[in-house]
Amino acid sequence: MSHESNSLLIPLHVSYIQNLGKNKDDLMYHLTAHLRMNAIYWGLTALCIMGHREALDRDEMIDYVMSCWDEETGGFGAHPDHDAHILSTLSAIQILVTQDAIERLDINRVVKFILSLQQPSGVFAGDSFGEIDTRFTYIAVNALSLLGRLKELNVEKTVNYIVQCRNFDGGFGSRIGAESHAGQVFVCCAALTILDRLDVIDTSMLSWWLAERQLPNGGLNGRPEKLEDVCYSFWVLSSLSMLKKVHYIDSDKLISFILSAQDPEGGGIADRPGDMPDVFHTHFGVAGLSLLGYPGLVDIDPVYCMPAALIEKMGLRKGWQALERRTG
Amino acid sequence: MVGMNCPNLVHGVRRARQSKEALEAKRRKEQSKLRDYLALTDDVLTRVRIYSRYNAFDLTRREQKKRNEWSREALNATTQLLQVNPEFYTVWNYRRRILINGVFPESTPEQIKDLLTDDLSLTMEALKIHPKVYWIWTHRGWCLNNVPSRPGISDDGDPRGWEKELWNQELFVVEKLLDADPRNFHAWSYRRLVLESMPVPKLETSELAYTTRKIESNFSNFSAWHQRSKVLSSLWSQGKLDETKSKEEEFDLVHNAMYTDPKDQSVWIYHRWIIGSGDSRDILEREIAIIQSLLEEEPDSKWCMESLVHYKRLLLRNHASSVVTSTLTQDCIQLLDQLREVDPGRRARYYEIGDSGSGLTLTVTLIQHTSYIWFMSYFKRVLSIDNILNDKWRDKHWWAILLTLAIARLAAAAVQTTNAAAATATVGLRDGSLSGL
Repeated sequence: MSHESNSLLIPLHVSYIQNLGKNKDDLMYHLTAHLRMNAIYWGLTALCIMGHREALDRDEMIDYVMSCWDEETGGFGAHPDHDAHILSTLSAIQILVTQDAIERLDINRVVKFILSLQQPSGVFAGDSFGEIDTRFTYIAVNALSLLGRLKELNVEKTVNYIVQCRNFDGGFGSRIGAESHAGQVFVCCAALTILDRLDVIDTSMLSWWLAERQLPNGGLNGRPEKLEDVCYSFWVLSSLSMLKKVHYIDSDKLISFILSAQDPEGGGIADRPGDMPDVFHTHFGVAGLSLLGYPGLVDIDPVYCMPAALIEKMGLRKGWQALERRTG
Repeated sequence: MVGMNCPNLVHGVRRARQSKEALEAKRRKEQSKLRDYLALTDDVLTRVRIYSRYNAFDLTRREQKKRNEWSREALNATTQLLQVNPEFYTVWNYRRRILINGVFPESTPEQIKDLLTDDLSLTMEALKIHPKVYWIWTHRGWCLNNVPSRPGISDDGDPRGWEKELWNQELFVVEKLLDADPRNFHAWSYRRLVLESMPVPKLETSELAYTTRKIESNFSNFSAWHQRSKVLSSLWSQGKLDETKSKEEEFDLVHNAMYTDPKDQSVWIYHRWIIGSGDSRDILEREIAIIQSLLEEEPDSKWCMESLVHYKRLLLRNHASSVVTSTLTQDCIQLLDQLREVDPGRRARYYEIGDSGSGLTLTVTLIQHTSYIWFMSYFKRVLSIDNILNDKWRDKHWWAILLTLAIARLAAAAVQTTNAAAATATVGLRDGSLSGL
């Protein structure tokens, strides 16, 4: 293990993110157009947490976001000419809020689009084709909250569906009957946190289940008997943070694990040590490190997965707990 | 925020140092692929951009005929593109719009059924390579939901015949995919969708047997244990299975799994669910004994220790009046010490468990015992021959001490009872779940 994996290689990661949009010759870049809006949000947030938000051009970014606006549906697609979907709509809103450009948004129309996706059962669909998932519930709650329109949501119906997704292990799945998965646990915990309904969670059971995601190598997995992955550093950690049990995992070992998944040559963080990096894992690795109190990073709000100071300024901060920021 | 499996970027691909020449060669090779891909994307999205958002009903028949973007040609273009990139969700959307607006209106029910069967093949091929892509599963479900009724039914026919046939087939398809990857949560979710949607529903007891098979082939299959917990809860709540008797069978299954692989967490989590709120002292004590023997064979088993602490605490909470609380408390303290040794990463949680509940119980128990001992010893002194002969037994300060000790003991007993009551009062979020412990 090279000595570089003992610290977060911020300058390398900043240039990694800056270079992402530049390689238009890369087939993979084009094959992932359906994720572009999300990728920009991941890149921007990672930069903010590393203290280098200025590394990407603000105006270019805002123009890109607005070029993905679907006038007919009132939502955003992932890329120009791609259909609107709740996933890219949230990323677009998060980018605009982070860049302090929310005035570019037709808030009424977006709110209408989001609310139109709620199903009779209380869950949200991703688009008019009807795929349902508690991820989309979280997205709706998060987005409406950021836009200051949460009061238009039928909270009882929304919470009622999440409650029905609760499993024998205290966790939550993507829909009623589905298995607990750290990512789904995150979205349900975060939605419930925003709606002030953490009372429906069996905290001792769920925090036990979450604590057991840590493997001997220090990494976290998403479900029993699965492999460790850097992105769970965020899904699991943020859930524990909302339950005020971040101390339930070994933070030193997790920090080492995340750092060892860095690419010390080209920058970026991968899903696990030795793999190729990508912006998704770079973002969640940095976010996890921030929650773990890694020195030199900016605080991240685990509920919204956006800079904590911004969320606090908007009056949206909830009672979560992260580890103390270490010095140097 | 996107998906619960990492996006299909370069997930799981090993980093390899490549020479400049190798990278350049790779880039050149990709160029023609890239050109073709961009051309295909451009072709499809042009059609989408201009036409796909129009509802068929907005156009007159003639206008529809002029526009060929709901055409077979358009459909074929989407087929090509989706085979290269099945994550292109906009193109799946477009494909569905073409079928609904362009192709289906020109087709007989039989032809529609055939078209949907083609799409089932298309998605099947895609799933073999990309078994975890949400969009593919969604499209498959859409196909099944659009299977038409059979027209012109004769006496021995069945208007839902096609639906039945195709939904039954889906169960078979999802079983194959679960054989290949028993933990694929997309496949499990789809399986539940199929079971809900089948015109002729499968018996829940038959699904229970399926989970038994999956578990017996691999005790580590948390997805199967989870499915089992759902099927059983449903059967219990409908009164189709006797819950108490059924739980006994579950204990048998779990004991087998525990002894086969004590390291597998699925089993221990499932066991805790079966124990539930710990209402039955007999069951708790029996299970504690079984786990205790296992711990003797596997002295470092953190799962045994963790479970013993939990179940002993349940005894302390729910059955304090009929157990030896001091022994149980001591056991828990010892086990928590051991847990901090064998599982140091999670020691903060073990400290926390030690502080709450058992700390209080220890204090309370100590007060109860010591106050009793002192009470008895003072009582004997007060009523000793000496004190009676000297009339000292009437001394008020002795009785003050005795009264204080009696109150202390009663108060401790009251706290313990209230604590137990409060703990059980918070239980009941849901059957089998525990809270406040």
